[in-house]
Amino acid sequence: MTAGLRMPALAAVAFLVLMVVALILLAGADPASLAYGVVERALFTRAGLLEALLRTIPLTLMGLGIAIAFKARVFNIGMDGQLIAGSVLAVLAAPMLPSNVLGIVLFLALGFAGGAIWGGVAGVIKARFGGNEIIATIMLNYVAVQMLSWLVRGPLQEKMRIIPRSDAIDQALRLPVIFDGTRIHAGLIVAVLAVVVTALVLMRGRFGYRLAVVGSNEHAARYAGISPARMAAVVLVLSGALAGLAGAVEVAGLYGRLQEGFAPGFGIAAIAVALVARLNPLLVPVSAFGFSLLYAGLGALARNGVVPFPLINILEGTIILVFLAGSVALSRGSGRMKEAVADG
Amino acid sequence: MDEALFLSGLLAAGIRLAAPIALAAIGETLSERAGVINVGIEGIMLVGAFVAVLFAVQSGNPWIGLACAVLAGVAMGALHAYFVVRLKVEQIVTGIAVLFLGLGLSGYGYRLTLGEAGTAVKVPGFRELDILGLADIPLVGPILFGQHALVYIAVAAALLMAYLFRATRLGVIIKAVGETPVAADAVGIDVDRVRFLCVMVAGGFAGAGGAYLSTAHLWGFVENMTAGRGFLAIACVVFARWNPMLAVLVALVFGIADAAQIRLQSIFPAVPYQFFVIVPYVVAIVSLAVGSRSSRMPAALGIPFARPR
Repeated sequence: MTAGLRMPALAAVAFLVLMVVALILLAGADPASLAYGVVERALFTRAGLLEALLRTIPLTLMGLGIAIAFKARVFNIGMDGQLIAGSVLAVLAAPMLPSNVLGIVLFLALGFAGGAIWGGVAGVIKARFGGNEIIATIMLNYVAVQMLSWLVRGPLQEKMRIIPRSDAIDQALRLPVIFDGTRIHAGLIVAVLAVVVTALVLMRGRFGYRLAVVGSNEHAARYAGISPARMAAVVLVLSGALAGLAGAVEVAGLYGRLQEGFAPGFGIAAIAVALVARLNPLLVPVSAFGFSLLYAGLGALARNGVVPFPLINILEGTIILVFLAGSVALSRGSGRMKEAVADG
Repeated sequence: MDEALFLSGLLAAGIRLAAPIALAAIGETLSERAGVINVGIEGIMLVGAFVAVLFAVQSGNPWIGLACAVLAGVAMGALHAYFVVRLKVEQIVTGIAVLFLGLGLSGYGYRLTLGEAGTAVKVPGFRELDILGLADIPLVGPILFGQHALVYIAVAAALLMAYLFRATRLGVIIKAVGETPVAADAVGIDVDRVRFLCVMVAGGFAGAGGAYLSTAHLWGFVENMTAGRGFLAIACVVFARWNPMLAVLVALVFGIADAAQIRLQSIFPAVPYQFFVIVPYVVAIVSLAVGSRSSRMPAALGIPFARPR
């Protein structure tokens, strides 16, 4: 079955690569030197490498959330909203937190909780009412963006009331820098811990097993006494929580305050990160670092006017499609999810 | 009388705002009836919006812009179809990739072409029609006779598709492909070909919806200007239980919600405008909660076809 699809899959890959090359040529840039420039700036300049490492932190946290959700075939594409919800809740409560390490932990926990709540709304809609989670999470994105826009111009705006942003949070609540002379903060440790915990839960625990069963076959899950609806809700809460945690980490680690658009396109990037990592939590940080290098390198080139920055979205889409086609070309027999069922 | 005028204006504006959602929803209905979901139509709409402006400016004729937008939509649909029908990979994930591609292609293309020149480019857009000179009739005129041509085209397309599903052999074939592909295959229907074509046509509709946004509703392209309308269109399809006429009516609900929030902003200037902007999205979220349970989707929706051995 799939053997016959190898050539068509490779043709798709070839087409996509040619399309990207043609688009780069259209911009008057040279694809080879562009690729070289991205690698050079991201990997071989200190600024580029540090920028990539900084971005790896939230993308890892969010990529883990996507991996959990997609494993259960729950398609959470509202991480941008969940990230906002988490950072808003954390910043709202920040004045009440103690000015010590406990305060930092609580700040992050509040981010986790805020994201969980926002993801949980979609979870309730999915589990209780059977509503599609893709639409629900996307709609909640737009609501969250508007609410943030209101907060930083209204109740949460800085005392000076000039710029649409909140006052800075207490310095004691900031995540400390862990490498002197850089901006790399303790969020890196949070991300590493999250990878370990998620990997243990998904690969060792009962929960991971149930998740995999729901994701591969809903009927089998029901026979095994697992409620796919309840699983979907739990998964949306968890992945939302990781996005919210990422938001709190960004605020406490980098910006120190709430402002609009502080995590541009992270929700989209996290999906690409998780898919390229094949939903494997141990590969998520690697994939996140790869995409962060791409962002850092391409961002630098785009600022110099070499190519328009939306090329990054084209590349994200293309990379996902290349991976899909690649999995078809490389699979022997029962590769893809549903096809395995239909084949059997 | 004032209330009547207000309601008339609201309805006329609601129809204007519903049209792009309705166009995309009509196409998505066809695609999903044939068994393929495309969550990337938001991206296809963006490409349509950009292409329509680009070619309208180049040719000086919005109809040429529209035609190119439809073609671009068909091409994006073909890409989706190639992956999910030919290669039989995961439909949702492919749709997400199509969304990213559309987001990127429209933004990239715009910055390379019209965006370079800034906002000064004059876009030859569509004007509202004045059918038989009746658009000036108080109250009903603007609603019935003063809409954009694409609005009438959308309604006609929905009627046509309803007829297609209800009374034609082709409609039966499409429904069979989406409900019982194995049986359809057994009687000699090329399941994959029917699906491929339906997904391409759906892409064309999404492209037209995008063109409406950038050459009829507004005259110009703004990055990410669809603002979730592609996803609202998918919601329409579900709430309408895969019925094209109902999908248009649901789109009208979203359109009216949007028109109402714009008016409410000026009526209540003391309330932060963000609380009104979210109205259509909240309506969608609430209706997801209220309207999803009893719907039965096409049996083979989302499942690649494989001939049993």
